[in-house]
Amino acid sequence: MKPELNNQKVEVKTKKASILDRLDYLSVLKWAILGFFALFLIIPLFSVFLVSFTGMPINIFGSLVNPEIMSTTVERLSNSSLEHYMKLLAGGTYFKALVNSLALALGVALLVIVMCFPIAYAFARTTMPFKKTFAALCTIPLIVPTFVSAAGFILMFGRTGWFTNIYQAFGGDGVLFNVYSMTGIVLVQVFFFFPFALWPMVAAFKASDVTLEEASQNMGAKNWITMIFVTFPLAIPGIISSALLIFTVSFSDFGTPIIMSPPDLNLIVVEAYREIAGFFNWAGAAILTVIMVLVAGFFFWLQRLVTKGRDYGTLSGKPKMQKLNDNKVVTTSLAIYTSVVVLMPLLTILTVFLQSISTTWGHGALPDGLTLAHYQRIFTSSSNNIWNSVMLAVGALILSVVIATFVSYFVVRRGAAKLDFIASIPLIVPGIALGIALIQTFNTAPLQLTGTALLLIVAYTIRRMPYMIRSTMGTMMSIKKDIEEAAVNLGASPLLAAVTIIGPLMLPGIAAGSILVFITVIKETSVTVLLAPSDLAPMSLVVFQSLLRGDFYTASAMAILIIVVVLGLQAFANRFSKNRLY
Amino acid sequence: MGSVKVKNLIKKYDDVVALNNVNINIEEGEFFALLGPSGCGKTTTMRCIAGFEDPSSGEILIGNNVVNNITANKRNCGMVFQSYALFPHYNVFENVAYSLTVRELYQGGPATKLKSFARLMSKRLAKPSKTIEQKVMDALSYVELDKYVERGVNELSGGQQQRVALARALVMEPSVLLMDEPLSNLDKKLRNSMRTTIRRIQQEVGITTIFVTHDQEEAMSMADRVAVMKDGEVVQIATPTELYSNPQTPFVADFVGSSNIFEGQIKESTKEGSVVNIGDVILKSNIKLDKKDVKVMIRPESIELSSNGKIKDGENVLKGKVKISTYLGAQIRYDVMVGNHEIMIDQTFEPGTPVLPPGADVKLKIDPERVLLI
Ligand SMILES: Nc1ncnc2c1ncn2[C@@H]1O[C@H](COP(=O)(O)OP(=O)(O)O)[C@@H](O)[C@H]1O
Ligand SMILES: [Mg+2]
Repeated sequence: MKPELNNQKVEVKTKKASILDRLDYLSVLKWAILGFFALFLIIPLFSVFLVSFTGMPINIFGSLVNPEIMSTTVERLSNSSLEHYMKLLAGGTYFKALVNSLALALGVALLVIVMCFPIAYAFARTTMPFKKTFAALCTIPLIVPTFVSAAGFILMFGRTGWFTNIYQAFGGDGVLFNVYSMTGIVLVQVFFFFPFALWPMVAAFKASDVTLEEASQNMGAKNWITMIFVTFPLAIPGIISSALLIFTVSFSDFGTPIIMSPPDLNLIVVEAYREIAGFFNWAGAAILTVIMVLVAGFFFWLQRLVTKGRDYGTLSGKPKMQKLNDNKVVTTSLAIYTSVVVLMPLLTILTVFLQSISTTWGHGALPDGLTLAHYQRIFTSSSNNIWNSVMLAVGALILSVVIATFVSYFVVRRGAAKLDFIASIPLIVPGIALGIALIQTFNTAPLQLTGTALLLIVAYTIRRMPYMIRSTMGTMMSIKKDIEEAAVNLGASPLLAAVTIIGPLMLPGIAAGSILVFITVIKETSVTVLLAPSDLAPMSLVVFQSLLRGDFYTASAMAILIIVVVLGLQAFANRFSKNRLY
Repeated sequence: MGSVKVKNLIKKYDDVVALNNVNINIEEGEFFALLGPSGCGKTTTMRCIAGFEDPSSGEILIGNNVVNNITANKRNCGMVFQSYALFPHYNVFENVAYSLTVRELYQGGPATKLKSFARLMSKRLAKPSKTIEQKVMDALSYVELDKYVERGVNELSGGQQQRVALARALVMEPSVLLMDEPLSNLDKKLRNSMRTTIRRIQQEVGITTIFVTHDQEEAMSMADRVAVMKDGEVVQIATPTELYSNPQTPFVADFVGSSNIFEGQIKESTKEGSVVNIGDVILKSNIKLDKKDVKVMIRPESIELSSNGKIKDGENVLKGKVKISTYLGAQIRYDVMVGNHEIMIDQTFEPGTPVLPPGADVKLKIDPERVLLI
């Protein structure tokens, strides 16, 4: 037994926490990660915030290295005013866009709750048949990029859509409803966002206090009275929280409105996109970005407030002895209703699929003929886009894994709450807002990164970071500290313990999380359309541009390819998380 | 192998004083128990010895070397964690082999280093060396697990996992074996058989062992010596029999078996001992003390009780009335009122003799030898 080097003794005296925490190069890493978030998240957001007052672009990094830029910046800052905000409040397009977006989000949130209510009840409290199948179908909406669902709806209900054709064949006049409208957007979002609310609502119904219900029944109350006055009120916080979540998701969604909103319908995400991509109007884009972040942040905060101290998120709680409603009439009608809801997204995807193998389609309920030409085309002329997608996704995956693993290590093992907070900021930054902030900050020297793969990869990484961290942090927390200590006790240095014990134990969590990163990057749109230059265009951008061109065949084929990749990876990820070895 | 000395150990967490000047000397080969209620600092003491906590002040010596500046991975203390802390991605063999493989990794040449590292990452990548295999199999047969070498550790019962943890700690031939409440996660029956197993192995190997527990029965039945701890301080260090018959504080008396404890005054000192007053009750004790106010302690089983005149009036004989009688199987616990004092008495149950009902008049007799004064 030999004493260690002297400097270790000094550290012994200064650190209060466990001896495992002595590795100081880890502190350097922590600062590097903080620096990453500062550079690519905090400073860009702050910079956009400043621009919303100055109305002129501000080059923060330039100001730091170049006195001339600094003086420009100072001058612009001194000229800052509330003018642009006043204009917003005075009415006009921005104000209308905000109101429309809020109305859309509110409508979608309410409709989703109403629509999910019977389904959630059916899952939580009845013996409805086909629960497993329905649950599986409910995952479909989550794997489809929203602009693809929008396209599917157009292919069904548009002027030449197959449903419209059937409708007309039965004597209908024109179209059932105009898809290029608020109604269209609401419908797509309702049918494709409802799973976000469904599972928390099921959990809320399950978590309701059974003892209270029994008390109510013991006092002689009828089943339906108990249901209305005890079960449902107890589930209300969970339901409100789901509504707020849907509100934020709908408010930030870019894919649906960009495809479906007619010229006379201003929505804030579309407006912001046009200001930056069409007119390079920094002032306008900045204001809209600030507003988007504030609104999303506010509703996110509200949702946290409602769920505080409750955990409706998990379905895996101890099953309580609950009597499930097995009334045949009730369960059968609930099953029929549920199948209608969950089949809608499936139908949309099948439509997109059929479109992708049609020679032409638009004159009847079915395509005029079938062909694989569209696939052949995308595999030949767009193979580089497929390659771009893979490269960007792999890049984001690696960056995410490294950052998320270390962030969760710092948060779980060293109580770095600040880092946890910073890494969850992206939750409230809509993709378009992040895109605008990054472009504004990195479009000039000294850090001109727009148009590079790096900035795109960074943007993807930041957007996905909160989810990735949840995944790795969960695994990290499930590895008890004493396992690490046992390894050290048996003679391994903390580093060797981390490599041989913590690393292998975290692998399943990291693998599952990184596949999810891959999936989201492949279907990402909002950041992509803003930041991807044409020579880096990934598959999702091809779909997007084809849709804007009106080329639904190419768009459909590419969209189906994306969905197939996503489905395959999802199945792979599920195997990882189900067959957890430990 | 080695002795362990803890000198003036103080450990503070911010303002919480977890350990307040702990002094312990453990001899080589000794089975030493740290006993005390939850939160008294047993785990902290053990973690300081293992090197997982830095003492705020004080010294720790293992085999005459001060180890304060030696990191946990170099202290060569085998530790059995309360939760076992087995490595879930390794099977039984790999778990036990871990310390030996790590040692080969650090001490071997480049080829051995590579092989050991591969072995740690996956058992499929490399085979263990012959010596490791031999040592692991020996350790496993010690704990009677040689049939479970290839099992995953999650496929084992609690008792088997416990034995893997023990084998894993023993195989590295540590200078001292540390066990933190190792039996607390087992059911009662298993606990008893594990007690015997651990004690047997400890004696066969002859290893210095520190055993943490809050269960006095466990400490008393296994240890050579016991340190009773309370609020971060060691109250008494003694052999189990001494601890029981001669507790130095009421806390020890009460914690180690139950005890009747009264406030009393010494009325006079005699040749054989003292005469004490407990209120209006007078008792003789064989203990002499130089003070007036004392605590009087009497073990429930050291009081004789009779209702049928078997006990004649005389010295240390009291009259009382049964308040509650509780039948405990092998024993009967009586709560008897003597004047306004309530006294617990444990009497061995003899089949055929009736349990006295509440209200019965009884006489108590207490040997002066068994009346302890502090
Ligand atoms: N990491 C810690 N931070 C603050 N207080 C602690 C910490 N670990 C232990 N303590 C405190 O030290 C005291 C002794 O704890 P411990 O040694 O775990 O007790 P025992 O093992 O005897 O139950 C307790 O009061 C506990 O709250
Ligand atoms: Mg403890």
